[in-house]
Amino acid sequence: MQIKPILAAMRHHKAGTVLIALQIALTLAIVCNALFIIQQRTARVSRPSGVEETDLFVIRSDWADKSDPRRIDAQMQADLIALRQLGSVQEASSTNSFPLRGTGWDNFIKLQPDQVKMTTDAAIFFADERTLAALGTRLVAGRNFTAGEIGAQQPRDALHSAQVIISKALAERLFPQGSALGKTIYVSMGRTPSTVIGITDTLQAHMTGSWANPYAYNAVLIPARLLNDYTYYLVRARPGQLAAAMRDAPKALYAQSRMRIINAKDGVMSFAQVRRRAYERDVGMAILMGIISVVLLAITAAGIVGLTSFWVGQRRKQIGVRRALGATRGDILGHFLTENLLIGIGGVLIGAVLAVGINLWMVAQFEMARLSLAYVVAGVVALLLLGQGAVLAPALRASRVSPVEATRSV
Amino acid sequence: MLKMTHLSKVYRTEVVETYALRDFNINVKEGEFVAVTGPSGSGKTTFLTIAGLLETFTGGEYHLDGVEVSKLDDNARSKIRNEKIGFIFQAFNLIPDLNVFDNVEVPLRYRGMKSAERKQRIMEALERVGLASRAKHYPAELSGGQQQRVAIARALAGSPRLLLADEPTGNLDTQMARGVMELLEEIHREGATIVMVTHDPELAARAQRNVHIIDGQVVDLSEDPRFHAAHAAADQAHG
Ligand SMILES: Nc1ncnc2c1ncn2[C@@H]1O[C@H](COP(=O)(O)OP(=O)(O)O)[C@@H](O)[C@H]1O
Ligand SMILES: [Mg+2]
Repeated sequence: MQIKPILAAMRHHKAGTVLIALQIALTLAIVCNALFIIQQRTARVSRPSGVEETDLFVIRSDWADKSDPRRIDAQMQADLIALRQLGSVQEASSTNSFPLRGTGWDNFIKLQPDQVKMTTDAAIFFADERTLAALGTRLVAGRNFTAGEIGAQQPRDALHSAQVIISKALAERLFPQGSALGKTIYVSMGRTPSTVIGITDTLQAHMTGSWANPYAYNAVLIPARLLNDYTYYLVRARPGQLAAAMRDAPKALYAQSRMRIINAKDGVMSFAQVRRRAYERDVGMAILMGIISVVLLAITAAGIVGLTSFWVGQRRKQIGVRRALGATRGDILGHFLTENLLIGIGGVLIGAVLAVGINLWMVAQFEMARLSLAYVVAGVVALLLLGQGAVLAPALRASRVSPVEATRSV
Repeated sequence: MLKMTHLSKVYRTEVVETYALRDFNINVKEGEFVAVTGPSGSGKTTFLTIAGLLETFTGGEYHLDGVEVSKLDDNARSKIRNEKIGFIFQAFNLIPDLNVFDNVEVPLRYRGMKSAERKQRIMEALERVGLASRAKHYPAELSGGQQQRVAIARALAGSPRLLLADEPTGNLDTQMARGVMELLEEIHREGATIVMVTHDPELAARAQRNVHIIDGQVVDLSEDPRFHAAHAAADQAHG
């Protein structure tokens, strides 16, 4: 109702108006994207690993003597027997890597031997017949490896595995039309066909970077012990005995042989720690974005409070005149709220465009997802409400200016 | 129209109490043109602000149009100011951010008047003061006399029954002052009640009735030697 004269009057305090509008615009643009990033990171952090994480832990054993692969193989088998004999341990298995580890082998997966480009990419987990049990991951089709199928793999030799088990996501990616069971795939650059003998339920890859988003649930289990410079043991404690098992296991391994190093700091990690480490940067980024948002919102609110207070002080006389001419306290309050709303609308219009612009730039630069417009809408509403909230105190002060101010000398 | 009896107004600060008005009695009838004179600091402005419901008073009674105003709440007082009273201030008090048209519109908007009627009244009022052609100008682009005419147009646009003017010519030269005075007389002839504070004995003499305030009280002019002195001076000036 008072919009036209308020708009007209704004031309006479352009600088402040533009400043606040731009501040609102910038805050909206950044906060929208920050909240979107928080949501994206939170979604990443809370996606399932497909692993029964409670009671699971991993041990990394670095071999002191790396000269003889056969000794390493024998040591690994002896280690596994020792671990499984522990009272606090339910299951143990050796592997080169595991979901959420961060680094590891990921390889091209092809459907034809002479294919040059990959069909997709997948994490390579060297597994034995106990690996799925240790992870707590079920098969949804086919069968598990048998003990007799588990071979030994030299790190520098080409992969040649007649049987593989693959994750559900990889199976669906490779064979969208029908079941992958019994089909042939080619792992890595090798030309040796591998038959899919089993398909697991959801199983996350070790890769956690955003580049790997399309492959995050692609995993191939190869029936072999990898005779590398180190190995991991996946150990499932008996229910509720995680702490005890994490204490017992390294002792049992050292009792087997002292020719190894189990790092005191992170040689033994519960899966909860693995998860925390994998998503450290995501959580950190989400917290940083949260702090930036709060700080920006606070600065903007403070700016609005400050400028409006200044305006109220500057316009005391004019407020008194308006009161003398019949404005009620509500009219004066409404005047400042409306003025703020108009500036806010100007700001959020620019800000919405900026928000989308920043997002599109990030999409191009960092493979970000496209900003959902719901965030822009929520941000617009939030900033308009913030503006109204911030303006309330000075506007109430304005509404209490006495009409007698009109008669006070200039 | 405007009746104050035994009215008092005390300004309290931490250290002093100032009686701006004491045992103040006045009765302005409908359609009267009253000039209020008195030395600086005698309480003239205080009287006008109370009369115009800009301020509350400390004691006594004030009936405006038959209503005892001390019982009214802030919104009711705003409504009366808006509908019944027109103000003309010494410092014009136009809103610098608004052009002439928008300035005159201010009280009409607070009345919630429809746009078409507002426009008609604004143009009528501006024509009345001879400034219809300046509707899009800003106050700073006008002379003092023109600004005061805009202020009068603003006071007139709402058709108030009571016009309160606090030294409306105080900031104007003689010629402009005369023009403003003629305008007020014209408005008075059309039926408005006018109470005007002035320092100018010549203008005061043109009102129907003079009220003299000294030390916050209305005094009988015939008993005040200063009044006779002022009149003698005015007579001389007229020559
Ligand atoms: N807000 C106020 N606070 C304190 N004293 C005031 C205030 N307004 C006016 N006064 C005092 O009241 C007296 C009357 O003032 P005023 O009505 O402005 O006189 P006039 O208009 O006749 O010059 C003066 O002594 C003045 O100092
Ligand atoms: Mg005065």
